[in-house]
Amino acid sequence: MSVTVRETINFTIDGKPATAPEGTIILEVAQKYGFEVTNLCYNKKLKPFAACRTCMVEVRHNGKKELVYSCTHPVAEGMEVIIHTEETDRYNSANIEMLLVEHPLDCPICDKSGVCPLQDNTELLELQKPRFEIQRRNEPSIKTNPLIEFYLNRCIVCGLCVRACDEIQGVQALDFHQRGMKASIGTANDEPLDCEFCGQCITVCPTGALMDMSSDARGLAALFKNTNTTCSYCSWGCTVQLETKKNKLVRITADETPGVGINEGNLCAKGRFGHGIVHNDERIQSPLINQGGTFQEIGWDEAIEMIAERAKTTINRNGAESLAGLASEKLTNEENYLFQKLFRNNYGSNQINNLQNLQAPYVNDFMLNCFENGIESKPVTELDQADVVLIFNSDLPSEYPVGGNSIRKGAIFTGTRVIFANPRNMRFDHESRIDIRLIYNQDADFMLANRLCRILIDENLVDTAKVQEQIPNFNDLVASLAPYTADATKKATGLTNEQLKRTATQLAEKADRALIIGNDVLNTGKGKETLNALLNLAILLNAGGEGSVSIYPPREHCNSQGVNDMGATPQYLPGYRPVNDAFEHENLADELFENCANGKIKFLHIAGEDPMTSYKSRSIVEQALDTVPFLVVQDIYMSETARKANLILPTATFAEKEGTVTNMTRHVQKVVPAIPVQGKAKSDLEIFHNLADALGSPFKSKSSSDVLEEIRQTIPAYKDVDPARHEQWKPSGVTAKPAFQICAFEELKASKRDFSMKLLTNNHMFHIGSYTHFSKALTDIGPDCFAEINPKDAKKSELVNGDTLLVESSQANLKVQMKINPAVPAGMVYIPKNWPEVPVNALRNGEDGTVHVKISKSE
Amino acid sequence: MADTDQVVEEEIDLAPTQKILDALPEKSRRYLIPALQKIQGVYRYLPEPAMELVMMDIGISKAQLYGVISFFPKFLIEEPGKYIINLCYGTACFVKGAEIIVNKIHECYKIKPGQTDASKLFTLQTASCLGNCGAAPMAIIGEDTHGTIDPEKSLELLASYKL
Ligand code: SF4
Ligand code: SF4
Ligand code: SF4
Ligand code: FES
Ligand code: FES
Repeated sequence: MSVTVRETINFTIDGKPATAPEGTIILEVAQKYGFEVTNLCYNKKLKPFAACRTCMVEVRHNGKKELVYSCTHPVAEGMEVIIHTEETDRYNSANIEMLLVEHPLDCPICDKSGVCPLQDNTELLELQKPRFEIQRRNEPSIKTNPLIEFYLNRCIVCGLCVRACDEIQGVQALDFHQRGMKASIGTANDEPLDCEFCGQCITVCPTGALMDMSSDARGLAALFKNTNTTCSYCSWGCTVQLETKKNKLVRITADETPGVGINEGNLCAKGRFGHGIVHNDERIQSPLINQGGTFQEIGWDEAIEMIAERAKTTINRNGAESLAGLASEKLTNEENYLFQKLFRNNYGSNQINNLQNLQAPYVNDFMLNCFENGIESKPVTELDQADVVLIFNSDLPSEYPVGGNSIRKGAIFTGTRVIFANPRNMRFDHESRIDIRLIYNQDADFMLANRLCRILIDENLVDTAKVQEQIPNFNDLVASLAPYTADATKKATGLTNEQLKRTATQLAEKADRALIIGNDVLNTGKGKETLNALLNLAILLNAGGEGSVSIYPPREHCNSQGVNDMGATPQYLPGYRPVNDAFEHENLADELFENCANGKIKFLHIAGEDPMTSYKSRSIVEQALDTVPFLVVQDIYMSETARKANLILPTATFAEKEGTVTNMTRHVQKVVPAIPVQGKAKSDLEIFHNLADALGSPFKSKSSSDVLEEIRQTIPAYKDVDPARHEQWKPSGVTAKPAFQICAFEELKASKRDFSMKLLTNNHMFHIGSYTHFSKALTDIGPDCFAEINPKDAKKSELVNGDTLLVESSQANLKVQMKINPAVPAGMVYIPKNWPEVPVNALRNGEDGTVHVKISKSE
Repeated sequence: MADTDQVVEEEIDLAPTQKILDALPEKSRRYLIPALQKIQGVYRYLPEPAMELVMMDIGISKAQLYGVISFFPKFLIEEPGKYIINLCYGTACFVKGAEIIVNKIHECYKIKPGQTDASKLFTLQTASCLGNCGAAPMAIIGEDTHGTIDPEKSLELLASYKL
């Protein structure tokens, strides 16, 4: 919620009393009160535009009657609004009738048919008898890009697509061209569309002019079955609508109905077009057993039996602690819960972990510290009402594209001020009047965050007396901030003290603030220090400033939060209860791969993860998987990890299973099956049930909802969450323990002379994790992996666009195509991760932090 | 096509564009149209490399920039012929034979409205009314205004213009 208070206005609609905050437009309130008003160019997310002229209503105010366009006219005190008078109907009808002169009326073959605002409005005004002579346009369809078809004969030039692309997506790939009768929307000079492929334009289009080409099956939306479920890619947790026909997933669309999901009908390319992973011949077709290097199909019963037997003998021979499991940031809560239960209860082993906790175990502690300090994570649905957003080392358009949508909306409607801090000068276009860009040196995140804390205190931007009163170790914080002088910070970050002062001042003003922390922070080698510094910043603002602070912690995948909530970690049982004496033993799962490689772990079960490509360092995983005597991998696709398994089990995709996932701000949301489990695959949940049966100690639960019930009883915070309502779980039973998190100062390590460049790797805009590369639509728009370097470095090494780059570290080297990008700072090589052909994680030599590399032209 | 683009790109001196942009009171969309007019004043059209500069400097996307350009028929994105024929296609001129003139030009120079002939002598454009209907049909060729053109003799008139 914004700190700006808006006055409440009283008025009537068709005689019924209504209220709304000042400045609200008539159409928005009327819809909220359930009145039907014709309109074709209005969308709540976008600025008023009034192109279609079909939303006229009558208002009486101060004794005067007026006809106004309800999509632009704000309500006023004492106003009487009358919808549908004879006069307004006449005007509104005439405009729609004129649109119908040109519109093809090819409804039987139109993708939008049945969910088409043009149809709805025609029906609402009962325009069955056209008065004008029909003059159809007959231009060919434009299919010059892989995903979005432009059939502009159906276009009514309402401008919604142009505005969505500009205002919500910040891309501006579309605009109006020509004028008069020839006016149309499109790209510059009809060039092929080259954009973020979010598909927002398809969603907002009130006709079938823009169509999703990612699926062969096309046709009437009304004939498809719709299932709302949660996207399986990033941790933003958008609700996607799966459209199915005869048990086949046809396409994914966005549902803009208010209250459906946290994303207001916004999606990104991955969420919308990444459905090619569902019906795909490359999926693992059957359980497979590795026989001397070749995989043979075996039956499910045999496979499950084999795992159970092997588990029992390993327990007998080497003890339960030699069995370890890697849970998944992509499986549901229920599945992860059962998986840890299988290890803890059935095997008696605490050796369970997940990739995020392995790589950044301090993220969970950071969350708990936030709780103890009363720092909240407001629902992402309220992000568009924040007064200030600090985007800290997150390339939002790639990392959380839909988060970017909310911030852009806030910039328009709330006046959100945006502070963008990143080592790369990445594009993040929005309409905020205040836009501070802090482009700082790679890895200097902690310096920047700590310096901001120090400025808040030194310049008395927060009420330090109040802070001191509330937070016992304030003086320790002040002492610990001594090294973060203006000079030292300038040297490390490259930012001037003026820039940082301006930033601190913006942050300190009375405001509701949101602090979005990108996953890149975790790769700086100082992830923990940076998170702590940001927490301290939040505590200072919270205790010594006015308004509120909300933190959006770094979580990568759709259930990176939930897998930790479910206790798939060696440190915590479900609900972050500390592991107690019941498991007094060596903690092997903390260094899972090292302990496989050194022979302590004898049995490894990996569920839905591909650490060979996703873990920060490939070599240790390779050693681990080659050494561990028994490896089971269950997954959808044959991953590099699976190739090393003794036994492979095929699993179901998100479209085939039931459960819940928890997003980065702890909204627990439903996963709903839209189609049956494909082929011989099984859901991970069923596999865990089968395993418990085979071990002779079956789980009491039978279904996903049984498991959710058990979770509710085990984890107090989950007790009352209703996944259908997109609610957050709230910490329960946390004792307030306000304290700054103090870290010792350590200077940034300089690059080694022979490896003078620093590597940055994270998710590509169109790819995340190991599945998207199996989606044809996503490989069509993001086919190749490109390393990116600064023009200066290119010049130094005589490299040009399209050259192949040789990237060497002290560990390994790889070849990758390159392009020059001035947004990448000099001294950095950016390479997207998880690319099958470019295993960038092979470059790490085991040490933490940023990998140092050198580059040259590959002959 | 790509080759010729390359050649054009090399020939263009972007310094005047930069000067025009630097002289704007503010680098914002508000000054886009006057900037484009000045740039066209320099090059006679809006060369793509110059437009790249405009996009970067003013901070608008390609779609937005070319949306504005295509709104105004006066803005040209290809190098025009030496003479721009601005032929009136308003009601009066149409009645008095503007269409015949267009057809004749097409026969002789193989161009339609909006196009430039191969030798780059003429670019044909049509206008809605040049505001001198009494002298229909009207045309402006280069800097010269011609009224009461005899459609049948229009090619002779054009023949007096040379490369
Ligand atoms: S897909 Fe997204 S980025 Fe591309 S044109 Fe449509 S709205 Fe713009
Ligand atoms: S394509 Fe659709 S959204 Fe865009 S202007 Fe045409 S009708 Fe409106
Ligand atoms: S932003 Fe994340 S959750 Fe939303 S559609 Fe994209 S990948 Fe899915
Ligand atoms: S909805 Fe109001 S003018 Fe289009
Ligand atoms: S119609 Fe040609 S000058 Fe008016």
